[in-house]
Amino acid sequence: MKFSNRSLECFPVRTSEIAFVNVISLASASIVQIGDRGSTHAKLRALAVQRKEDHSTAGEAYFESYDIFSRPWPIISDPWLQSGQPDNLNRCNHSPRISVGCVSVIALSSSSSLHVGNSYSVVGEARVKHIRQFPQDTTIM
Amino acid sequence: MVNFTVHNHQLCVGRIEVLGIASSSLLQVGDTRRMALYSMFDTPPESVIVGSMAPLPEPEGAEAAVGETTVTDFL
Repeated sequence: MKFSNRSLECFPVRTSEIAFVNVISLASASIVQIGDRGSTHAKLRALAVQRKEDHSTAGEAYFESYDIFSRPWPIISDPWLQSGQPDNLNRCNHSPRISVGCVSVIALSSSSSLHVGNSYSVVGEARVKHIRQFPQDTTIM
Repeated sequence: MVNFTVHNHQLCVGRIEVLGIASSSLLQVGDTRRMALYSMFDTPPESVIVGSMAPLPEPEGAEAAVGETTVTDFL
């Protein structure tokens, strides 16, 4: 494939361009950011309890009772990948911009983010435990 | 030894429509050096308890743990 001289020029950073952003709902530690960001560490711990009783009568739910909230993350044993930026990775941006016409999102929730711009490091952690407690219908038996 | 070269040419997108972004997830328009997203989601069959309404298990040292009553005290 043949490129012109201009297309072989490398730009150090790319700029993101968006004409229109439409977000209806933003809840529970969510972020909409326009601009660059250094690092993100988004964390979520959720205990989703569904039951007939009120929490004050049926007792509380504790994060400490379930080992999903303290279990370590699985380790990827790949030194090349874990080093983050290998020396032999080269990038060349032939265009100085990323263009998007319109972004429309209905809802963002639970430590999620909508980011327009560049960032260095993103780490996201989500731990969700579901418990459903249904009382047995004694009238049928 | 792996030599990895990436060429980013023109990137133009007309429209992005998303219903929902949740649970530490990310929608980004831009470049990132390093990204790691972890998720643990637990809905085992044992999570459905059908029977008498027994209280959920309390951890060791539940008095010191932050529970819902500690939060409602402020309301």
